[in-house]
Amino acid sequence: MLLFELIGNFFIEAVRSIGKISYFMFLIFKYLFFPRFYINSNFNYLIKILLSSIPIVALTAIFSGMVLTLQSYTGFSRFSAETAIPKIVVLTLTRELGPVLAGLMVAGRVGASIAAEIATMRVTEQIDALKTLNTNFYNYLVTPRVIALVIIMPLLVTFADIIGVYGGYLISTLRLGFNETIYISNTINFISFEDYFSGMVKSIVFGFIIAIMSCYHGLYTGKGSFGVGSATTNAVVSSSVLILVFNYILTEVFF
Amino acid sequence: MEINIENIYKNFDGKKVLKGVTLKIPNKKSTIILGKSGCGKSVLLKIIYKLIFQDKGVIKYNSEENVDINNFSMLFQYGALFDSLKVWENIAFQAINEHDNSINNLKEKVIENMESLGLTSDNFYKYPSELSGGMKKRVALGRALFKKPQVIFLDEPTTGLDPINSNLINELIVKTIKEKEITAITITHDIKSAIKTGDLFYYLEDGITEISDTCNNLFKTTNKKLNYFLKGEK
Repeated sequence: MLLFELIGNFFIEAVRSIGKISYFMFLIFKYLFFPRFYINSNFNYLIKILLSSIPIVALTAIFSGMVLTLQSYTGFSRFSAETAIPKIVVLTLTRELGPVLAGLMVAGRVGASIAAEIATMRVTEQIDALKTLNTNFYNYLVTPRVIALVIIMPLLVTFADIIGVYGGYLISTLRLGFNETIYISNTINFISFEDYFSGMVKSIVFGFIIAIMSCYHGLYTGKGSFGVGSATTNAVVSSSVLILVFNYILTEVFF
Repeated sequence: MEINIENIYKNFDGKKVLKGVTLKIPNKKSTIILGKSGCGKSVLLKIIYKLIFQDKGVIKYNSEENVDINNFSMLFQYGALFDSLKVWENIAFQAINEHDNSINNLKEKVIENMESLGLTSDNFYKYPSELSGGMKKRVALGRALFKKPQVIFLDEPTTGLDPINSNLINELIVKTIKEKEITAITITHDIKSAIKTGDLFYYLEDGITEISDTCNNLFKTTNKKLNYFLKGEK
């Protein structure tokens, strides 16, 4: 009996959450199309996200590029296909690793911060205070973050692609003895617009997912410091899982 | 603004919080709603403000059910000041966002507002985290009064303050209500503060309005529950 009760509760809770998120997204789209711009709030948020994410995205991308190159070399050298390494590195980074790693890093760095900030505002009644001051909190808090993340993510992913490829270039030329000019020409000649474009689409979708999940968990937080902690954890976990799920769906679309 | 609250019910996840509350808030008077913690006072206040909606019952504002909540303002229990904004930006928040006035003009008005609440101008560019509890309350009161409301809602205005600061806030509330001729609705369990600032008293217990009375009659009440509450007995 208990098992049935648990399963039933799980499904009821899941359906309730889907309904709440759907309504939340409906409201976001409504206010995205009829926004009231708080210019300072939007601009400050863009700068804040960019500056706080660049170091962590750069570090993740350069080390991933370096590891990818070494591991590719291990495999390809077994059947004398080392020349394919620049192509594999650039393709993997632009289509997969750049968007996914940047997405996961931004979810951890920015998503957690958004969820914690909004949850704290909810717990300390600042959200209610916004309503009493004739300010729509979707316009003031949510849409600036959605717009900022959707604009910033493609820039961060482009940056991650470049840094990651540079990491691969460093290892290939300094450690594995590749010719610099040949490596660069192989990289540039191989990559197509479609590869870059698929990465950009992913980055926009991931930015949207991070913004939605972080704002949602922040707004629907539980009470007290425990509520803020749970909101932050849930925002990061749900963003990360959805990024991986949508990465597969989008890869199928661009396959 | 006169407010009539008739038979209000509110449930949260199956828990009955308000079970038919009826009360009348007279125009330009200070009405106090007393009650133990968790009796539904804050919920009632938010329902009157239209921040949340009742399950059943009617609220009439000057005999109308519709009201522009921009005529209301609220002093929250812990101030609810915006952490990321400076004191002056908190006070003029709505006016800044609605581009009501030039920034210089707004700053002058904020200084006037701060002076009337006994806040010196050196607090102007401070952040809420740099202020003491009493100062935060005064800034929050300043923010609530900056929009010149017809009705002010005060949620536990003296919570967390020492007796001196509590007294100061009480005096400011009395002065403001008299000078600006506004209707005030206060929820509190601080009897001292209630007596100092109130004209009419309601006592709420288990989601029902138990009694209403004037200050003079409050301590002569024959209502057992209110008597225990006033004396701090179980």
